[in-house]
Amino acid sequence: MGILTRAIRNISRRKARALLLIVVLSLALAIIISLPPTIIANQQGNQEIINEILRGIQESSESLNLTATQIDCKLGLQFLYNQGPYKNVTMMVTPFLNISDYANLTSIPEIADVIPILSYWLPDEENYYFNVTYNGYTYVDFMYIEGIPLEASYIERFPSILPTNDWTLTAGENITAGRNLEAGDHGVVVLTEVAAYYFNASVGDTINLLEHNFTVVGIQGVGRSTLPFAVYMNLEDAQTITNTTGQALKLVVFADNVENVDTVENKIKEQYPELEVQTNKAMINAALENKEYWEKKLQNTQASLDNLKNTAIMQIGIVVAAQVAIILLIMLYSVRERTREIGTLKAMGASNKMILGQFMLEGTLLSFIAGVVGIAIGTVGASTLGNLLLPRLHRYGVDYIVTAEGQEVAVPLAITITPELILAGLGIAVLLGVLGSLYPAWRAAKIRPAEAMRHE
Amino acid sequence: MNEPVLKIENLTKTFTLGKRKIQPLTGLDLEVKRGEFTAIMGPSGSGKTTLLNLIGCLDKPTDGKIVIDNMDIARLPESQLCKIRRDKIGFIFQNFNLLPYLNARENVELAMELAGKFKEQRKQRAKDLLATVGLSGREQHRPQHLSQGEQQRVAIARALANDPAIILADEPTGNLDAANKQEIVKLLAELNQKQGATILMVTHDEKVAAHTRRMLFLKDGKIIDEKQGSKNGSF
Ligand SMILES: Nc1ncnc2c1ncn2[C@@H]1O[C@H](COP(=O)(O)OP(=O)(O)O)[C@@H](O)[C@H]1O
Ligand SMILES: [Mg+2]
Repeated sequence: MGILTRAIRNISRRKARALLLIVVLSLALAIIISLPPTIIANQQGNQEIINEILRGIQESSESLNLTATQIDCKLGLQFLYNQGPYKNVTMMVTPFLNISDYANLTSIPEIADVIPILSYWLPDEENYYFNVTYNGYTYVDFMYIEGIPLEASYIERFPSILPTNDWTLTAGENITAGRNLEAGDHGVVVLTEVAAYYFNASVGDTINLLEHNFTVVGIQGVGRSTLPFAVYMNLEDAQTITNTTGQALKLVVFADNVENVDTVENKIKEQYPELEVQTNKAMINAALENKEYWEKKLQNTQASLDNLKNTAIMQIGIVVAAQVAIILLIMLYSVRERTREIGTLKAMGASNKMILGQFMLEGTLLSFIAGVVGIAIGTVGASTLGNLLLPRLHRYGVDYIVTAEGQEVAVPLAITITPELILAGLGIAVLLGVLGSLYPAWRAAKIRPAEAMRHE
Repeated sequence: MNEPVLKIENLTKTFTLGKRKIQPLTGLDLEVKRGEFTAIMGPSGSGKTTLLNLIGCLDKPTDGKIVIDNMDIARLPESQLCKIRRDKIGFIFQNFNLLPYLNARENVELAMELAGKFKEQRKQRAKDLLATVGLSGREQHRPQHLSQGEQQRVAIARALANDPAIILADEPTGNLDAANKQEIVKLLAELNQKQGATILMVTHDEKVAAHTRRMLFLKDGKIIDEKQGSKNGSF
């Protein structure tokens, strides 16, 4: 006949009341344990979109840093007569610059590196223009030769200097056969498809250009190229065959980051007024906008998740308060109702502590039983409860999927009640029981026995 | 036989109800010796229950001294009072005050459980006590399935459970019909005679009081008259 048996007997004395209380409290507990997994499910459901957003931000900042920091420097256009290959004509061209004249550029602290690029427009010896018909299109143009310093430190850090790479770097390279140019390559070329057709060469063949032999290592697809009739090679090779040793058409300057592009542009203009400086402003703006777009999207998603969390915390708060209040009121009522009984127990020699323990145990036991029932309800009905109480987070604004039969059904949230959650639920039930019955039990313990015996 | 179990000197109790003061006990003196069966008579509202509550440590006196078994209880803290109630006092009430969710045996046992007695010992003693009050075979009945006389017998068994120094009976026959009245008061007298229980009973019923050996009257907050029981020591 321990204190626990007495608590159980007391609870079962008022069966209807106990049952009603257990139903109400268990619903409250079911809500308490349903909400956290609903949040988790929503979080998981949105992890996909968050990952995509993060990838978007990553990509946009990568292309921003690698490409938008690029600044091209050339000399201004000049009328030139009988220059280089263009015999007996006066042309408006961009003159070559001496690379060594600009060695001091690297002393500008915001500059990460300076890469010279040689662009050389080669006329056809007989017809002035090359005339090639390929795949139904006729190309009438000079041949374009580009020399790129094929040094590992450049190519690894600034892959965009290889014209055969896509500028956004997200689409990779545009090589349709063979391989791209690599660091340390000498005596090899990559040809555009039109150029390969003109030379009648494929990967592995040798072509002769300005009386030098080159091995074809790769073909660039036409798709992305604005220069259909082009040959790409090592800078030194290009300088050798075009007699332009030490020269380049442009210097590609990379700022150390996007924010410094304007500074670098101004400093170059100040130091070398003869240079025409061109930044990738449009590209910077596009990349910045892109980044902002993704960041905003991430913010929105996280804001709705936070919102959801706050709603859940508020609801749990209300339910917890209600649960404590219900236990408190019922136990207070019970203490009032059993005042004489408490007096009798005291007359028999029960200590205040024992009375306190008896009522605390009763309230806590009720809450615990409700907890067990509530967890059972929660385990079965967590999805229903969670969806009922919390707004659904949209994935890309779509929360319906179309089944094979063409029916639209809600995307199910994977709400799962874990063993940890069940334990936590029971712990919460006990805690709320203790909280709710503390004051009534204290009141019971403080009852003065003589007055209790007069109580009707 | 003649050492005092209870000694009260100049006991005063004042209740304050707002501005009104009620003083049911005004300097009461009383001595009860071990093995005595004493009745205190007085009309309703004369302070009988108040007196028993003070002796039974259910309430605190305004002034005066109450010594039970050589211990002055008037100024003890609650933590000590509950032990006195448990070990020295046995209460019998007018309306029985059994715990409705416990059966007869459990009601008796609970008193012993509170005193920390072991289970086997408790069980046996509860059975014996219920036999003593004539309830053999009714141990498993809950109060609502017992007659009023039977309920009071359970209450008497419960009062005896921890072998108290004194049993305080507050109108123990007040709720009983004539036949049961006789039965219960006879049972109390028998316990006093055969087991030497010290009983202090308050009643306003002369016929009931007549069964005791010593009859006192409470008037104006004091014991005013004492006459020895008519049968003078023999029942
Ligand atoms: N707790 C209390 N508060 C105020 N007045 C009380 C209290 N207990 C008893 N009284 C008053 O004290 C007087 C004596 O009461 P009581 O001892 O119950 O008398 P009796 O038991 O002799 O009928 C009565 O007037 C009663 O109203
Ligand atoms: Mg009374």
